[in-house]
Amino acid sequence: MTKKILAMAGLAAALAALCGCAEKKPVLHVYTWSDYIKPELVQQFERENDCKVVIDTYDSNEAMYAKLKAGATGYDLLFPSSYMVKIMHDQGMLQKLNLDLIPNRANVDPAYMKLAYDKDMEYSVPYTVTITCLGYLGSKVQDFKPTWAMLDREDLKGRMTMLNDHREVIGSALKFLGYSLNTTNDDELEQAKNVVLGWKKNLAKFENEQYKTGLASGEFLLTHGYSGDLMLVQSENDDIQIAVPEEGSQINFDDMVIPENAPQPELAHKMINFILEPQSAAELTEFIYFLCPNLPSYDLLSEEIRQDPILFPPAEVVAKLETLADLGEDNVKYTKIWDEIKAGE
Amino acid sequence: MKAGSRLKFSEWLVTLPSFVWLLVLFLVPTVLVFAIMFKPATPYGGIGEGWTLATLRTLGNPNYPAIVWRTLWLSVAATGLCILLATPMGYYMARVSPSRRRLVLLLVILPFWTSFLVRIFAWKVLLHPEGALKHALVFLGLIAPETSLLYNAYAVLLVMVYTELPFAILPIYAASEKFDFRLIEAAKDLGASSFLAFRKIFLPGIRVGLLTAFLMVFIPSLGSYVIPDIVGGPTSEMIGNKIAQRTFVDRNLPHAAGLSALLTIAVLIPMVAITVLRRKENPKDTLIEEGV
Repeated sequence: MTKKILAMAGLAAALAALCGCAEKKPVLHVYTWSDYIKPELVQQFERENDCKVVIDTYDSNEAMYAKLKAGATGYDLLFPSSYMVKIMHDQGMLQKLNLDLIPNRANVDPAYMKLAYDKDMEYSVPYTVTITCLGYLGSKVQDFKPTWAMLDREDLKGRMTMLNDHREVIGSALKFLGYSLNTTNDDELEQAKNVVLGWKKNLAKFENEQYKTGLASGEFLLTHGYSGDLMLVQSENDDIQIAVPEEGSQINFDDMVIPENAPQPELAHKMINFILEPQSAAELTEFIYFLCPNLPSYDLLSEEIRQDPILFPPAEVVAKLETLADLGEDNVKYTKIWDEIKAGE
Repeated sequence: MKAGSRLKFSEWLVTLPSFVWLLVLFLVPTVLVFAIMFKPATPYGGIGEGWTLATLRTLGNPNYPAIVWRTLWLSVAATGLCILLATPMGYYMARVSPSRRRLVLLLVILPFWTSFLVRIFAWKVLLHPEGALKHALVFLGLIAPETSLLYNAYAVLLVMVYTELPFAILPIYAASEKFDFRLIEAAKDLGASSFLAFRKIFLPGIRVGLLTAFLMVFIPSLGSYVIPDIVGGPTSEMIGNKIAQRTFVDRNLPHAAGLSALLTIAVLIPMVAITVLRRKENPKDTLIEEGV
């Protein structure tokens, strides 16, 4: 008899423990770039949905991809660039989005949606747009002109950097020559290679991270970089100016995607919808300096941000921007040229 | 006979942990790297099915000789400079009073109290184009205002020597400490100049320390990645940087494995050469005791 009671008590305790477990807050695991979301917004989302958000960061699409390919699971929401979204989608690593759960998708700026790769938002929703720009120190660079030809300027020799990214660098040279930055034409690529070899003589480095502090501290006078990053360091050093080269440049989307094996897909959809609220998008744009392409949010931005020629470039600049496409097998052509550029003196 | 075999057994037992450690964390990964080299690459960065010699052929990439040559000359130069600087230092440390020796030893080890990365970034500040050192050198007329102290092969060499110097000083000091300095007095008594005694008596006397210093500096130098990445420029790429590029950017693991295998072989050559050399000189001084 006593044994039975004890067993019942044990069962009751186990049940109580189980219930306790079920009541525990759900956790949303986000894997993104560093300083890429406003902490107050995350707290607001946690309060509204009674959940906990855990943020893990990566410093390149390739690092994120390598980690997932190596078997990392448990992430609910990722923020890769468009070309990486395509690579991941092609391999069935992403979930098809349930658009009924994302009514705010209607807020996405159609002007940018035209440039996006996944135009129907089947498995990705744009988070931010970035333009690859030239940043420079206004007081140190004499007669700056918004052109890629600045990289030929001998007086800036050893004080300029370009991104350590074959598609960005070769793409800039292709734009400079008036070609598409997704070309697979061998002759055009050969010309672009020679242009980059000329620029390389004037470069201090191919560099993805240090160029920001380098520009702010006056170590570099002119750097090739992403608009949001350059605007962030501009807030540290007023002398920094930013320009989009007139020959055209690259526009990148960072998208929100849900991996195939996400443990909390529903919560991830809620987060996407929350970020697409005009109020959230406006706060994000003002916080990270990358434009969230959210049409109704533009009216909520401060006048200063609204007038910014980099966040809101004039139509003739936008017309010359091009998005990067993953070239599959033809990627090898770019890799080969990049090797030749890196090895050249 | 029985006692002998039991001794051998206990010897094996003592060696077992380090043997397993090396097997699991060194030998198996190295064999895997060599194996992956013969696998095909997939466009998505995976490792394909079957076996191929394609990677081996692409290792003949015409751009590699320049990078291999740069890696070699930088490593040889860094090793040479480190030994050149460390030998008088080791000599000095063996000769001074114990209290001074402790102080110098502390100074040699002190840099390790700060992170390796922080120390490399410190060099970026020191050599900054708007920095005090640059201004001083320009003021003294030693360099032109447009000369860059950073982002070239010499900056890489400088930081490599700085980073690896303690690894040369410590074995040379250890060997010098055991050296019998009365031999130098004897050489001088017999008419040798100080320099001749140093060269003919001291240097051969600390030979083992010099060889260890060579290995301790040369091998990490060959695999340098962080230093050329941070203080190097567009023309100071080393093999380590190429391996990183193949892994992350080009998503070609077999090719990265091929380069790593090349590096492993390059590291093994001096080690084997030195082992053979030492065994020739002193047959008893082998790595594995045979037939105890």
